[in-house]
Amino acid sequence: MSLLDVTGLTVGIRHSPLDILRDVEFSVERGEVVGLVGESGSGKTMASLAIMGLLPPGIELRSGSVRIDGTEYVDQESGRVRRTAGQMTMIFQHPRAALNPTMRVGRQISRVLELNQDLHRGAAREEAIGMLARVGIPGAARVARAFPHQLSGGMCQRVMIAMALACKPEVLIADEPTTALDVTIQAQIFDLINELVDETGTGVLFITHDLGAIAEMCDRVTVLYGGQVMEQGSLRALFTEPRHPYTRFLFEAVEREVDLRVEERGVNFALTGCRFGHRCPSAHPACVEFPPLVEVGPDHRSACFLHAEAATGGVVDGSA
Amino acid sequence: MALLEIRGLYKTFGHGHGAVPAVRGVDLDLERGETVGLVGESGCGKTTLGRILVGLTTPTDGKIVFDGEPLDGRLSRPEVRRRIQMVFQHPAQSLNRRMKVSTTLAEPLHLLAKADDETIKDRIDETLRLVGLDAGFLDRRPRQMSGGQQQRIAIARALVPDPDIVVLDEPTSSLDQSVRGRIIALLRSIQEQRDVSYLFISHDLSTVRRIADRVAVMYLGRIVEEAPTEQIFEDPRHPYTKALLSAVPTMDLDDRKQRIILPGETPSPSELPGGCSFQDRCPLVHDRCRREQPQLETVAAGRRVECFAVAPDAPQRPAG
Amino acid sequence: MSMTGPLPGGPGAENPHEPGDDFAVTELSAQAVRLPLWRRKPLLIVGAVILAAYVVLAIVGPFVVDDPRATDPANFLQSPSADNLFGTDKFGRDVFARAVHATRLDISVGLIIAVSAMILGSVIGVVSGYFGGWVDETLMRFTDIILAFPGFVLALVLVAAIGNSTLNVTIAVTVAYIPYFIRLTRAQVLAERELEYVDGARLAGNGPWRIAFRHVMPNSLGPSFVQATLVAGWAILTVAGLAFLGVGIRPPTAEWGVMVAEGAPDIITGQWWTALFPGGMIVLAAMAFQFIGDELGAEEFV
Repeated sequence: MSLLDVTGLTVGIRHSPLDILRDVEFSVERGEVVGLVGESGSGKTMASLAIMGLLPPGIELRSGSVRIDGTEYVDQESGRVRRTAGQMTMIFQHPRAALNPTMRVGRQISRVLELNQDLHRGAAREEAIGMLARVGIPGAARVARAFPHQLSGGMCQRVMIAMALACKPEVLIADEPTTALDVTIQAQIFDLINELVDETGTGVLFITHDLGAIAEMCDRVTVLYGGQVMEQGSLRALFTEPRHPYTRFLFEAVEREVDLRVEERGVNFALTGCRFGHRCPSAHPACVEFPPLVEVGPDHRSACFLHAEAATGGVVDGSA
Repeated sequence: MALLEIRGLYKTFGHGHGAVPAVRGVDLDLERGETVGLVGESGCGKTTLGRILVGLTTPTDGKIVFDGEPLDGRLSRPEVRRRIQMVFQHPAQSLNRRMKVSTTLAEPLHLLAKADDETIKDRIDETLRLVGLDAGFLDRRPRQMSGGQQQRIAIARALVPDPDIVVLDEPTSSLDQSVRGRIIALLRSIQEQRDVSYLFISHDLSTVRRIADRVAVMYLGRIVEEAPTEQIFEDPRHPYTKALLSAVPTMDLDDRKQRIILPGETPSPSELPGGCSFQDRCPLVHDRCRREQPQLETVAAGRRVECFAVAPDAPQRPAG
Repeated sequence: MSMTGPLPGGPGAENPHEPGDDFAVTELSAQAVRLPLWRRKPLLIVGAVILAAYVVLAIVGPFVVDDPRATDPANFLQSPSADNLFGTDKFGRDVFARAVHATRLDISVGLIIAVSAMILGSVIGVVSGYFGGWVDETLMRFTDIILAFPGFVLALVLVAAIGNSTLNVTIAVTVAYIPYFIRLTRAQVLAERELEYVDGARLAGNGPWRIAFRHVMPNSLGPSFVQATLVAGWAILTVAGLAFLGVGIRPPTAEWGVMVAEGAPDIITGQWWTALFPGGMIVLAAMAFQFIGDELGAEEFV
């Protein structure tokens, strides 16, 4: 049983027939870092908000299941996701913006502890200082009394990690945690996350557009485009032999300055079939249907009719 | 004689106790038709240096010689501006959102070159073609274009007065990874056609590697290492350069090098210790580093490093 | 998290792909089915319709109705009838005719005040915000002085000083509202001048004055337009109020406030129409502007 199991996640705008996310699925095991990668507009942040129950007003969860350690968190009737009560926490891209500017950082952490762990103020404060030290902040007691604007970006991100881990969650969602930070600080944060994962067995959902970061941090990867899962599998399988046309497009675009002769267009959410259909060099008539995720190797799945037909022995041209 | 020679450039913001020395004694040359990559993390002064060159900020001290002529205090004059231009980091923001492309592109020609309408029209058409866009874009406004297209327009605006030097401040950092490659390819092709020099400022080492002929690494307002691009990447000498390079995540799964994790964070520029500013984080620090400020020394042909721990290469033959 | 700001094109338009934009929503909204305007912002439509009716009345009305000053002592204080839609006042004048002429006066004055205050206030706001320094400090202190007085009281004092012809009243009320626009525009300018396009404009050869007025100002006027609609409504109330107190526009000019002042005593004796109709028109006009201004300024949630 996975630590986090998300299936059939479909999210859309209220009153509109168009879907932002369609049938998204992924899982995270204990002590594992799973990457969710996509370009901007791919819906990766929306997916994390959806499973946390933090969708903005006007956006609704249309269907899906979110199970943490086997317990279902989606209320099928109301379409709401129940509060995860510290079992699943999140850290964000802009650390300073995610912290309350008017509250000392130590207090922000201790409040989380008071609310979720039922600790008294004194005990919570001690624990908070302990967490700050645990995330590598020197002089934790002094830093606890500081306000976010007095700390650097890297420090604020550590504070946010401390806050997220204070409740000893099963799952940590990290949404572009180091995109706004310098690369040497990013290396420190990656190091820290790996250490904490090894120590606590927390599962991490690592959301980013940076393929290098994915290669550094993740055990398994899900590739998202236009709100749809394109390819999924172990890091090695996906990076050494990407099968989905979109994944290959993405890898090539990042690694080489290839003129891909593909027009720079945004996502077309009106497409009922494969969302990559209008840009795909291998597109063919079947692509107006929604492609299912099919096995293309051990711990490696791809949502593309090229592979679906190959699996059933059909004739397909498209050995791109 | 180089096209651009910078000697002893200083820029300090504010004065007295809260003064922030952003640039602390920079010497740099830029040849005709060459690209120098200026890399460093936040607070290193690279952006300030770029802004001084285009006259958006005035230096506190130092000499700048452009095409043989000293330019003290004249960097913002139209004659100079026409020849040293800039492309900014955020394409949507760097264009006036209410202005049509045609107006945006015509302005520099009106104001800097005092050209007549006929010339302006021809030059605009020519430049649009140069950046790979068709005349249909002339009537568009920024919000009707994608990020990549906006940046092409910004590049066109910089090129329209036919400058000798274009300073590019993080020109691809706000763009999707798949778009970056195309913009870099465009910049290179323009350089071949127009023989323009680039000062390419970026924190993204992999992008810099694709376009720069030489790279200068900055830390806390000084250049700590400068060398031809491949040498910087294959054989970095300065301990900061080594840490910086090792921190960059790569997609190559088999390149699992040992990451150098620097302790602590970049100190605040207004609270610098005496001696080498890298002393508190440097793995090679010794007493001398705390007493004296190292200078940029030539260690090999075309290579300069500022570190007491780095010895010059054994001389191969008399410099010719 | 709000999805505000102009949404790109309608369905079928070029699909701008906003870099760094993690929400698929902004693109999606461009293609999503949108409710028609009258369902999303009904009050805007109501306000606009009412205002349109007033404008038509103001332009066409005076040519169609009787002379507002024609007295008919024999027919004084007649209740509303087919001949006199709003009845007659104590001088036998047709209230409807007077109300229609007053519409032209009040609507024009309201709009003129709003537009003048906006233009003058915006220019001052741009100069203050863009150039900063002692210019900004000085202008802000003057603005503070004006704002220290309640708008109505200030208009009152100014009218007492310069006289109460229609022109003077217009000027006085305009002055009272200029500071709103100064503050609003200045705030926008302070934000705008930090944006990269200002640097881009410098590099294109623009001098500071060109940048301030040709680049920054047009981008800073958005909130001012919204404010202007609201100010138009408030201006009408202020002008009518001054007239009611007897310190603004004087009788026998047909102006809503004047009419209410003249008609107020009639209520005691049971002739409600001389004050109620003009009063109602004031309320309706102010309300219409308020609806428009509110809805224009409100954020649009998907």
